[in-house]
Amino acid sequence: MEDPLPSYEGLAAAFAKAKAEKEKEEASGLRDRTEYAKVSNKQAEVRFKAAHGLLLAFFSWILLLHILGVYLFTSGFLLTRLVLDYNSSCAVPPVELTRSYQAGSPESGCWHPKTFEKAVVIIVDALRYDFTVPFRPQGIDDKPHHYHNAIPVFYETAVQHPNNAFLLPFIADPPTTTLQRLKGLTTGTLPTFIDAGSNFAGTAIEEDNLVAQLRNASKRIVHLGDDTWQALFPGYFEPNLTKAYDSFNVWDLHTVDNGVTEHIFPLLHPSNSSKWDVVFGHYLGVDHAGHRYGPDHPAMTSKLEQMDGVFRRMIEVLDDSTLLVVMGDHGMDAKGDHGGESDDEIQAALWMYSKKGIFGRSNPAKQEPPATAKERPVAQIDLVSTLSLLLGMPIPFNNLGAPIEEAFIGKKGQDYENLALVNRLATSQIHRYQHEYSQARGLDENARSSSLSLWAAAEDSWASLATTKSPSAKQWNNAYSAFSAYQRETLSVCRALWARFDVARMVHGVEILAFTLVVLAIYARGIEGDRTELTPALLLRAVIGTALGLLVGLAVGFGVPSLPFEHTLIYSTAIGSVAGFASGFWYVRRRLISPLPRSIWGWVGVVLTVALSVGFASNSFTIWEDEILLHFLSTFGVLMTISSLRQPDLIDRALGCYHSILFIVLTRIASLSRLCREEQMPYCKSTYYASANSSTSATWQLAIPFFVAFTLPNLLRSYFKNTRSYQGSAILWIDFAFRTGLLISAAFWTMDAADDGDWFPGYGALLKTSKIILAQIVFAIALAAGYSTFAWAAPLLSIETKSSSAAEDSENRSRQVVAEGGSSSITILGYANVHGSRYALLITMWLLAVILVQKPMGGGAIGLLGWQIFSLFEIIDTNKLSDTPVGPLLLGFLGSFHFFKTGHQATLSSIQWESAFIPLKTIKYPWSPLLIVLNTFGAQILCAVAVPAVVLWKQPPKKKGLLGDVAKAIATHLLFYAVINLATTMWAGWLRRHLMLYRIFNPRFMAGAIVLLVVEVVGILIALLGVRLNFLSVAEVFGWS
Amino acid sequence: MSTPGIKSRPAATPIDILPTDAARLYTHIHPALVLSLYALRFNAIVADPVPALLQTLIPLSTLQTAYVTICLPPTAGSGSSTPAVVPKTAKKRAGGAAKATSDSNTAKIVPALLSLILSLLAITPLTGITLILFGAPITTHFAHTFLAAAHIAILAFLPLVYVLGVDGERWREVVGLLLPVDEVVGGMVGTLVGAWAGAVPIPLDWDREWQKWPVTIVTGAYAGYALGKLAGGLVFKGRKIMFD
Repeated sequence: MEDPLPSYEGLAAAFAKAKAEKEKEEASGLRDRTEYAKVSNKQAEVRFKAAHGLLLAFFSWILLLHILGVYLFTSGFLLTRLVLDYNSSCAVPPVELTRSYQAGSPESGCWHPKTFEKAVVIIVDALRYDFTVPFRPQGIDDKPHHYHNAIPVFYETAVQHPNNAFLLPFIADPPTTTLQRLKGLTTGTLPTFIDAGSNFAGTAIEEDNLVAQLRNASKRIVHLGDDTWQALFPGYFEPNLTKAYDSFNVWDLHTVDNGVTEHIFPLLHPSNSSKWDVVFGHYLGVDHAGHRYGPDHPAMTSKLEQMDGVFRRMIEVLDDSTLLVVMGDHGMDAKGDHGGESDDEIQAALWMYSKKGIFGRSNPAKQEPPATAKERPVAQIDLVSTLSLLLGMPIPFNNLGAPIEEAFIGKKGQDYENLALVNRLATSQIHRYQHEYSQARGLDENARSSSLSLWAAAEDSWASLATTKSPSAKQWNNAYSAFSAYQRETLSVCRALWARFDVARMVHGVEILAFTLVVLAIYARGIEGDRTELTPALLLRAVIGTALGLLVGLAVGFGVPSLPFEHTLIYSTAIGSVAGFASGFWYVRRRLISPLPRSIWGWVGVVLTVALSVGFASNSFTIWEDEILLHFLSTFGVLMTISSLRQPDLIDRALGCYHSILFIVLTRIASLSRLCREEQMPYCKSTYYASANSSTSATWQLAIPFFVAFTLPNLLRSYFKNTRSYQGSAILWIDFAFRTGLLISAAFWTMDAADDGDWFPGYGALLKTSKIILAQIVFAIALAAGYSTFAWAAPLLSIETKSSSAAEDSENRSRQVVAEGGSSSITILGYANVHGSRYALLITMWLLAVILVQKPMGGGAIGLLGWQIFSLFEIIDTNKLSDTPVGPLLLGFLGSFHFFKTGHQATLSSIQWESAFIPLKTIKYPWSPLLIVLNTFGAQILCAVAVPAVVLWKQPPKKKGLLGDVAKAIATHLLFYAVINLATTMWAGWLRRHLMLYRIFNPRFMAGAIVLLVVEVVGILIALLGVRLNFLSVAEVFGWS
Repeated sequence: MSTPGIKSRPAATPIDILPTDAARLYTHIHPALVLSLYALRFNAIVADPVPALLQTLIPLSTLQTAYVTICLPPTAGSGSSTPAVVPKTAKKRAGGAAKATSDSNTAKIVPALLSLILSLLAITPLTGITLILFGAPITTHFAHTFLAAAHIAILAFLPLVYVLGVDGERWREVVGLLLPVDEVVGGMVGTLVGAWAGAVPIPLDWDREWQKWPVTIVTGAYAGYALGKLAGGLVFKGRKIMFD
């Protein structure tokens, strides 16, 4: 055997040399060398490129249809509120003022006499309520956690100086992301879900809000901390005093906090107090400690203690006319993440402090801050009206919150008159807003008849007060109760109203998705023979249909102004496109067959996919999706074992059994990596991190990446060696580059743990810098070196010449092509798997990239996934299943399963945002979002990359219709995700009034839609383009036939 | 490729029940008895699965042993059976008129008991491991899981062991679903499919006692056994299970 030669030239030379030894016989069927053959070869290449280009176009078209369908549904489902651009004005109170108070002067107070000149408003991101109150054991075994009793300043001041301070639970409206919360905290209105996705690029608030009101009143506003504020309020802050810090580097616990502290105390100094009126500070350390370590970690204790010290200092230096407000914008769940609507995520804390001593409690029982967030909570939207009135600002127009009782009831807790006055103002503004809103929206007054009757009652009680000479506290209290009843009713009406869905858009979106599913199903399973022959006809008609649909949409959109333009245009374009496909299918109807399964494999695939999809209509089955996928994968494994035992060929039987059982066992081992969602408790134990209350890996878990690095390359090598394909570039790539990459990635995670745990105090900065460099090296190996290898590598072959007698006893069965005759024979090692082995290099490249961005436990799971993928290829080969849908479908199940095994769940809070900082120090577009996608959907991406290998594995290089088989496999794989997407979309729409909508069905719908689009992009940009490189390379050696 | 290593052997034929009146009658009573036994024990199993499942194994074993002794032809190759049994069975199959003598009854009870022991000792661990591979708890509930496995083994595999013995090639055909369908194969497939489907209600948030492990699996196995045995013996008898 000769040494493997690295390039085409070398390979061709070896081939020619070997050939020269047996010149008498042209090695028929290997490569013609005549002129005519060259011409036809060139034509075949052009034909391949054209067919491949059309496939790209076809799948892009399907992608486009899915985008249109998902967009249309989403725009009707995640409805945005109509934003009114009215602003409240200082001189125009919402209702006639009493007691001859003159409106219009910000100096004395616009609608109500102001209490404070200045304010310092501090947000401690993710300050959960139970952090701030003393730990009270619920049982004997109940021990305080790291987050308990670490920031007692709020509780102490509220108890010791009730007139100076109060502490209350502060309930956020989900989604509990910082951007959404800041909107709620400054506008006083309810958030809508659709903005949750724009967390990466905050957009300016256009609605009336407290910051804008302060600005209009020529107040000088300073902002320090989280730069989300800059995105929301561009140009509002004093430029020379304001300091904004990058908010998404969740691995950095101190830069933002130290920056805020460094700049805020000089401002509080009397010599600087004339330079500003309101300071907004935003600390991020607690939030980042939660994201990085989870709440129950010593880092959280020290962070909270640091905050405690900061506020004690602040109390000391605060002057009498300044109000100090400290609050959390949301809480955090047991792992330190947030975004959803679980109790731990919405329960933040609010603390107000002033040296004036004007706060009170209406009842001695309220003296002490509540023990839990379930008692006496105030809503976060209540802050806006409270702050506005305390600072003498008009209440922002869209505000729905009520003034907080403790701030207005007076020292003695008896000033119901004041309380009634401020509530009347806030409520009247709400009433004015509601009136304008229903006018702008064209709503029927009946929709709010219940709240209107409450309004009338409140007005009546106010009128009766006006006739009384000196009303008693009880009468004032009654008026206060009446106004606040109206406010509460309106708030609940608004919650219901803004959860109102545009059903027409939703139905049309579902229709588009359903029709596209039918097109995809027919293309994947309902066409006989080679798909590439029919794609031109289908695509042409689809393009014509789309153009016609677009024209009709434009005509109707402009012609009938009463119809919503965008909706009409999208719907008509998509339907035109689908109709084009339908006419294309009609044109090729002779080639159509029933897309229904024809074998047990097809039926099992259909039944399990449909069962999973139907299950998403139930919250229980959605919650336990990971276990269901385990069950289904084992089912496939058992069926493959059964099928292997049925094989007549002994070797096929043994190999098939081995790989099938291996597949099942690996699935079960991977299933041990779990990150439980809240709803799975108490039947689930998280193993992904060191503990259930942590988001760092345990020390033993750091061994997993090293173990993967030492074993995985050898395991994968054996799959190449089976077919003698471990030749040429594969040796260098798998044994050297891939292994090195895995080792560096393991080193990265160890250094990350060292950095997290502060193992080497003083070397933190060095660790940070060097680990980022390591991660970049791994990416360079995986994608830069990997793609150059993949693009330029010759097929994994080597040529061997033997005397013909030696060739006779070749033990290697039909794995080689032997050109016999004469005295010697040419053997091409690796011939039997020339397509599959070469394409598999692409899978290992992405395997390396995906392993890097997963936590150690997830890296282990992805390593198992890589092994399973190669086992699956062998199972498909030994059972001759490459024509059945089982391979692509099983890859869909595998990808979905390992999504859960890499520490993810279909919830917003399980997104591992910190993965954006693995190879980067700061946010960089577009890389940061791409990294998060690679982390979140790594398993699905890897499986999508592997799909073509299902049909390429161990296929002869000149097999007819191989490209068509690839198209069929990719379409089948997409079909799996399209079914899931259609189902989750339909269920989310159908269950839109379900209590669990935002907790369970909506996140699963969003995950399904994003996965579908990601997998489609991967299928087009990675899998299909990889197939092109592969075919070109193979044809370079063997020619086109 | 030729398979010279494998002896050419007659293809498996569907198993007919013994041509006696008792067999014809009992084969129909048997599933009803098995289901009644389970129904009777159900509340106890729900209340405390481990002891209840363990106790239920005894009547279940008795029923299954009785069933195979009364209704099924014992294996020709079973190690314990005297050579004399073989021609007798063959004669019965051929002639179909001979009455079961007390002598042949003992000769059948011994293989039946051996089948029981084999199912409990050899097949139960395999079934238990399969349950764990399908997602049964891996660190806890071993007693639950392996008792469920024992029930499945006795329901699904005891009759097969009795009929087929320990012939490796026949067992490959069993696992490869290559045997023609009859009531024994039907019972096995039914039990396994039933146990598989029994996992469906577990995740539901109904907070019922009977959702606990492994009640639904065992319930599915019993129901599946009865259905599969009936369907295999009456509807699908003689058919082959096709994969492609």
